[in-house]
Amino acid sequence: MSDRYDGSSIDLEKALTKYMVERRISRRELLERIALVGSAAALAPIIAACSTSGGAASAAATASGSPAAEPSGSASPSASAAPTEVPSPEAELFIYNWVNYLADDVIKSFEAKYRTKVTQTFFSNTSEAYAKLGDDGGGYDISFPISVDVPSFIEKGAIVKLDKSLLPNIGNLGKEWSDPGYDPGNTYSVPYMWWTTGVGYDKARIKEDLTSSKSLWDPRWKQHISMLDDFQEAFGLTLIQLGHSANSKSTAELDEALARLKEQKPLVRTYSTDTIATMTSGDVWIGHIWGADRFAIQETNENVVYYIPEEGGVKGSDTVAVFSGAPHPIAAHLFINHLLDAQNSAANTNLIFYMGPNAAAKEFISPDILGDPTINPDQKIIYKLEELLNLEPAIRDEYLKRWQELRG
Amino acid sequence: MSGEAAARAPVPLPVAARPVAASRLARVRGTALVLPGVAWLALFFVVPLGIIFIVSLGHRDALDRVSLANPSLENYGRVFDPVFLPTFVRSIRFALITTILSLAIGYPIAYWISRYGGRRKALLLILVMLPFWTSYLIRTYAWQIILRDNGVLNSLLQAVGLTSEPIILMNTDISVILGMTYGFLPFAILPLFVSIDRLDANLIAAGRDLYASGRAVFLYVTLPLTMPGIIAAALLTFVPAIGDFVTPDLLGGPETTTIAKNIQQLFLEGRDWPYGAALGFILMVVTLGGTLLALRTLRREVIGS
Amino acid sequence: MTRERNRLLSAFAVLVYAFLFAPVVVLIVFSFNSARRGLAWKGFTLDWYPTLFSNDELLNALGVTFQVAIVAVLLSTVLGSLLGLGLARVKFRGRTATETLLLVPMVTPEIVMGLSLLLFFLQLFDGRGSVTQLWIAHVTFCISYVAVVVRARAANMNPALEEAARDLGASAFGAFRYVTLPLIAPAVVAGALLAFSLSFDDYVVTTFNAGVGSSTLPLYIYSKVKFGVTPEINAISTIIVAGTALAILAAWRLGAFRGDGRNFVAEEEAPPA
Repeated sequence: MSDRYDGSSIDLEKALTKYMVERRISRRELLERIALVGSAAALAPIIAACSTSGGAASAAATASGSPAAEPSGSASPSASAAPTEVPSPEAELFIYNWVNYLADDVIKSFEAKYRTKVTQTFFSNTSEAYAKLGDDGGGYDISFPISVDVPSFIEKGAIVKLDKSLLPNIGNLGKEWSDPGYDPGNTYSVPYMWWTTGVGYDKARIKEDLTSSKSLWDPRWKQHISMLDDFQEAFGLTLIQLGHSANSKSTAELDEALARLKEQKPLVRTYSTDTIATMTSGDVWIGHIWGADRFAIQETNENVVYYIPEEGGVKGSDTVAVFSGAPHPIAAHLFINHLLDAQNSAANTNLIFYMGPNAAAKEFISPDILGDPTINPDQKIIYKLEELLNLEPAIRDEYLKRWQELRG
Repeated sequence: MSGEAAARAPVPLPVAARPVAASRLARVRGTALVLPGVAWLALFFVVPLGIIFIVSLGHRDALDRVSLANPSLENYGRVFDPVFLPTFVRSIRFALITTILSLAIGYPIAYWISRYGGRRKALLLILVMLPFWTSYLIRTYAWQIILRDNGVLNSLLQAVGLTSEPIILMNTDISVILGMTYGFLPFAILPLFVSIDRLDANLIAAGRDLYASGRAVFLYVTLPLTMPGIIAAALLTFVPAIGDFVTPDLLGGPETTTIAKNIQQLFLEGRDWPYGAALGFILMVVTLGGTLLALRTLRREVIGS
Repeated sequence: MTRERNRLLSAFAVLVYAFLFAPVVVLIVFSFNSARRGLAWKGFTLDWYPTLFSNDELLNALGVTFQVAIVAVLLSTVLGSLLGLGLARVKFRGRTATETLLLVPMVTPEIVMGLSLLLFFLQLFDGRGSVTQLWIAHVTFCISYVAVVVRARAANMNPALEEAARDLGASAFGAFRYVTLPLIAPAVVAGALLAFSLSFDDYVVTTFNAGVGSSTLPLYIYSKVKFGVTPEINAISTIIVAGTALAILAAWRLGAFRGDGRNFVAEEEAPPA
């Protein structure tokens, strides 16, 4: 692309005119774009913030070789307006997401407000999604990486520093979320939803009050116990029960956990992540489940209750981030800001029963959810929760090897 | 087939319809027929597979990316981890049982459609396929509803009085094999049908005249003549069944992990593409070698090619 | 005795069709389940059907699925049939190699094929997933299935038939069109049916080759597992099954599968003089 600007001034002039006609943009914007052409795509949103035009960042993204699918609408006459005004977003936004992870109304209100068409593409597990996203987002603007994976996305240069001037609503985040360990200062990502992992059981079958994760090893429920088919979760729960860290790096501790899991195996009906199906089929009475699934389960089987084991539990969170190859970085930022809006955040929580990190959203969240200690736990319990970390490859292999041995 | 039987055969069996003396022209035409398909597979299958092969020679870096510095065959050495042995054996067992069941169920059905389908042949054939135009996941849920402890089948068994307590069917080898047989049955029925349907009714009639017993006709006429269909059916069930991991995953229990699931895990959860690729290649070579060997033996013995 | 055996065979056939359709019946029943997710029956409702038609994402995914399946079926049927025919009828150099090439896609673990195509398009064409990429991917894994089925049919076909046609003055194309094609037609149809089913329900290869806005129905459905699969999916499956069944029935009534079945087999169909 650069040789286009290495030509004589006449050629350049021609090219500029043609470009302006094609893109219907002002000369000033164009000059800004040219200034940006050489800069790294990763810097685009930051520079975009300094400029007054929304077009700048998208041009930079174009320069990085990503598909620039948006039509001429990307630059609007508001370019010369006061710098405080929100830059106009591109005409489209590409989101890579789970089905139903965003409330329809939240998307529709964004589309109406910014006249930006939102296109969602779906994945069904994060590992596949990461493979597809590659090192620059694979053509998508926004996705929802799990918090623990954020550091590796940053290191790979896959996600960009967020332009906070486009995210005024970031102040809505609860204090405990303003400086998370995986991404200090929310520089590259914004927390979206968080959850716990624990134990669910059918009170109609098990007429006791359970509190310990050891109940998953209770021979009385033989053939009616399920474990998550996720080695980090399964080892996490076991390690915590044995008094270790859920992210233990000690192979001795892992062996200990493996032995414990092997003890459990003859009692287990199935290892599955589709707990909404297994817990409602009637075959499983007690299962290791993601806390938020309990609501979906309860819609069909109201006897299922959920608890975070007294030994401690696992928590996790999803974030929202903008990719370095994002074709529409401005729209992406505006969308994140839209998600941070108190009412929108509440709308999403009310849809999926995951607590958001949004302090301002609380007043709009359904009282059922707010009053539920398993979704919105007491601070004391929160301290007992441990976040699963992105294990370094060598350690992960140790986990996976043992997991495959267990399942083999 | 015994020499006597062959001598008694009234018509030259179409088994003899092997490619006759392949003239140069025929050779050129053969090449022309297969060329577009071969070209397609070469471009969109072999080249991409080459890329994955290169990946299998690399290693994973600290950020889980594939690094091709110092390529080596190391990953292929790692594959012979005893951890994979039980899953590999299990995969073969599942695939074999599935294939045998599919053939045993599929052959009579294909025969029935062909012989007694009359005007409804096409209809009956499409009906075999129709259930598969729904979602795999939803069909599997449906099986779960049928097979679970308080499910349709257990209620039926209890109503009939065959059992008083629910039998655990779901999350066992039974549910996995049932699910796989269900999933691959159409892959057996279709090639069996096209092969059986090709049979000339006159041959059967002639056979009846000569051998008299229906069983002998089936053994000496029908079965050998439909062998290409049986081979195709076995191929279309066994080979994909070896690579099935979703059915064991969704219908299986704690003891139903297959080798394909291990590969999937290495790729996605282990995020170790080179290692996953190496294991994938080993599985492919073993399956392919075994299949080709079986094919050759079968063809030589049955058709005498 | 033969009649008895026929009856036995027919009874067996009924059983097998019952086996094939048992989960479909359950699936249809659960499309009227008032429980939003999960596998327990809560009560009867018709709500999922109207909801379905206002679910743009689902309808969009359905559209992409059909679009991909139709192209995959057409292309793979043509390429696969030619391959099957060539392998069965003509000896040529590299026949064993071709046969092996045909088997490899079937033994390739899905994830290996999906990722290999992802890397292929990314490295060589900077492809980030698209409907075109899905077409190519689906054709690639369907070809072998069509070829194996067609080959089984053509394997014991008598080449003398086509030669006879040529002797009687038919052109090479004419002999193919009026002799060979009708002979292998059932296999071509069977292969196309298999290809459609494979493409329609493919998940793994699709997930790596779908791009912005090209989510297919399986991608949509599998993604729903995280928050629970709603009976909407049962409803759409029901509509597809019922719609297809009705279409087949109508076509059959109108005589699309004309004749007494021998014509479908078309063995006795004489080429026009």
